[in-house]
Amino acid sequence: MGQAKPFKSLPTLKEAQTGVDLRMTVNVALFTALIIIGGYISIPLPVGPVPIVLADFFVMVTGLFLGWKGGLTAVALYLFLGLLGLPVFAGGASGLAVLFGPTGGFLFGYLLLVGAVGLPANKEKLSLGKALTALTVGNLLLYSVGVPWLKAVLQCGWGAAMAAGLVPFIPGTVIKIIVAVALARVLRPRFQPGY
Amino acid sequence: MSIIETQDLTHIFPDGTVGIEQINLKINAGEFVIIAGANGSGKTVFARHLNGLLTPTKGQVLLDGQPITKNLIEARKKVGLVFQDPDRQFVGQTVAEEVAFGPENLNLPPAQVDSIVKASLALVGLSRFSHQSPRVLSGGLKRKLAIAGVLAMKPQIIILDEPFTGLDYPGVVQILQQILRLHAAGHTILLITHELEKVLAHAGRLVIFYQGRLVADGRPEAVVHGVERYGVRMPLRKGEEVKELSWLK
Amino acid sequence: MAEMTLFRYLHRDTVLHRMDGRLKLGSMLLLSVSASLAGALRHYLVLFCLLCIALRVAKLPWAALLKELKFFALIIWVVLSINATTIPGDPIPNLPLPGVTVQGVITGLRFAGRLINIILICVVTTGTTPLRTLRHVIEWCLRPLPFVPEVRIATMIQLTFALIPVLFIEFAEMSRAQKARCLEVRKNPIKRMYYTVLPFLEQTLHRTDQIVEAMEARGYSEIRTKAAFKSKTSDWLIFTLCLFVFLVIVFTKRG
Repeated sequence: MGQAKPFKSLPTLKEAQTGVDLRMTVNVALFTALIIIGGYISIPLPVGPVPIVLADFFVMVTGLFLGWKGGLTAVALYLFLGLLGLPVFAGGASGLAVLFGPTGGFLFGYLLLVGAVGLPANKEKLSLGKALTALTVGNLLLYSVGVPWLKAVLQCGWGAAMAAGLVPFIPGTVIKIIVAVALARVLRPRFQPGY
Repeated sequence: MSIIETQDLTHIFPDGTVGIEQINLKINAGEFVIIAGANGSGKTVFARHLNGLLTPTKGQVLLDGQPITKNLIEARKKVGLVFQDPDRQFVGQTVAEEVAFGPENLNLPPAQVDSIVKASLALVGLSRFSHQSPRVLSGGLKRKLAIAGVLAMKPQIIILDEPFTGLDYPGVVQILQQILRLHAAGHTILLITHELEKVLAHAGRLVIFYQGRLVADGRPEAVVHGVERYGVRMPLRKGEEVKELSWLK
Repeated sequence: MAEMTLFRYLHRDTVLHRMDGRLKLGSMLLLSVSASLAGALRHYLVLFCLLCIALRVAKLPWAALLKELKFFALIIWVVLSINATTIPGDPIPNLPLPGVTVQGVITGLRFAGRLINIILICVVTTGTTPLRTLRHVIEWCLRPLPFVPEVRIATMIQLTFALIPVLFIEFAEMSRAQKARCLEVRKNPIKRMYYTVLPFLEQTLHRTDQIVEAMEARGYSEIRTKAAFKSKTSDWLIFTLCLFVFLVIVFTKRG
């Protein structure tokens, strides 16, 4: 039975009757959970001093698999839960203090990231070029919010802001983009995006 | 009249694989039926039709003489399905919340939900765990929790899909006793398994599935001798009788 | 990860634990806004004292707070030292640190004060409110809003938190399995990450179907039981106190 229907995406009887897209509800919850645990798990890398935290990586993956609508819902839910004081952000932090702290720009930037990545991912077919472009644009948007925010909160110069919030993350981000694309190419054909 | 009945039930997957073919089965209220078969014989696919989780390609399921498609919610209340790997499917953060999920779906008033949850947990002996996370429970207790979640819907028929898989000896005994209590309380039991030696003594009927078809159906003593042909291990050793096939002493 | 499952909720039987969730969250909101608006030292002190009393009343251990602070200590230190040295102003008399200004230190301390108060608010709220209540309050608050599927959001929250510990354990198990198969030997970081995440993500995607199935089998419906709330006089008293503090801070700030 298990091998007969991996990643089935047919509408269930219930969906057809009530119009409730339960699968999307469950998917959003799952990907929100992934983004949250992404802030807790890290993969040490032989390059660069900063270990790779997987929260932003899972934001990219969310966009690729759920499209912009599901992706934005998942990231918004993530931010909302953090705002309420639940320890969902990297390292178990939470609350207004984090959202409006030095790294808050990156958290709000996740919305732009997931939106940019999810836009072309709504289509059934996602070409390699489109996926790479979307991920690159998304990350540029992320840092274009995150770095100025960091500068504003810390009241420091551009040089310091770049050194703290951009340069150390470049190698990791490149790796994440490549891995995200590779994963999407392998798994997406078996798992149709919802929207 | 039979409580549940399938007529020509056939399910073919979109990729052309045959799940089940032409299954005709009538089960009477209060029966204890075991469905056995090798992996991929269609028993799980069959079970998922009984409460409308899967829609047949052909044929239909009748519950109290009515097609289940008429009122799916009613079908899901009456036919409780305990999945094979329930701990992958818990939706509650606490034991009580997991059990409350079903009655909350029925939009019952909060006080009634509470009392149903308490009663269901008491029935399976999990009351003292109600505020804990389902993850901390042992394998046997996790199955019991899944059963409590189904009991909260007050079902008439309880289907258990491979309830013994992955359980140690005490776990199997716990679950077996629970199933017998449910049967004694008047529930119709449908137990899917390939481990006949653990439970066959308690069943009144044995049904064998093979490659998507129903190939044998009858009293356990009559059916059991031919099971090896269909990829199910012959549970009887030389000189043993069906009534000795139980892990309960 | 243990604290993730508990969400630092500590089961006690106190006024704050029994408080109506709606009023408790309302109070928290008022205090959070107060903390963000507060400018003068006495504002921070009033809030700080109030929250310390709340912490005592709720019988929450100070350790919970200190654990929180450990994480934020670094942020406070970074902000304080950057502010102290970059904001122009008068040097501190009799201090042999060049470049440190009075204005800079005050700006930094103000940031620290605000942060500590907000952390305290979070500790008290999450420590006294089980997630289930929080979910019910969210659902209740969103109910009057048009076009917001409040039940669906509540379901998403419930599932998210039921899944976090499960997924976390699964990820840990899979990384161990990959380690056992000598993934460490791979020098290429891309391949390393790819082979760590691939099986995990595949399992996770598969899980969607299993959960949808389990929910459907139990007749998932978005027309479902609504939580019952009951507010007592003491709840309103606490809320009124928070409202009073909020108003005082807002008005003395203007004046």
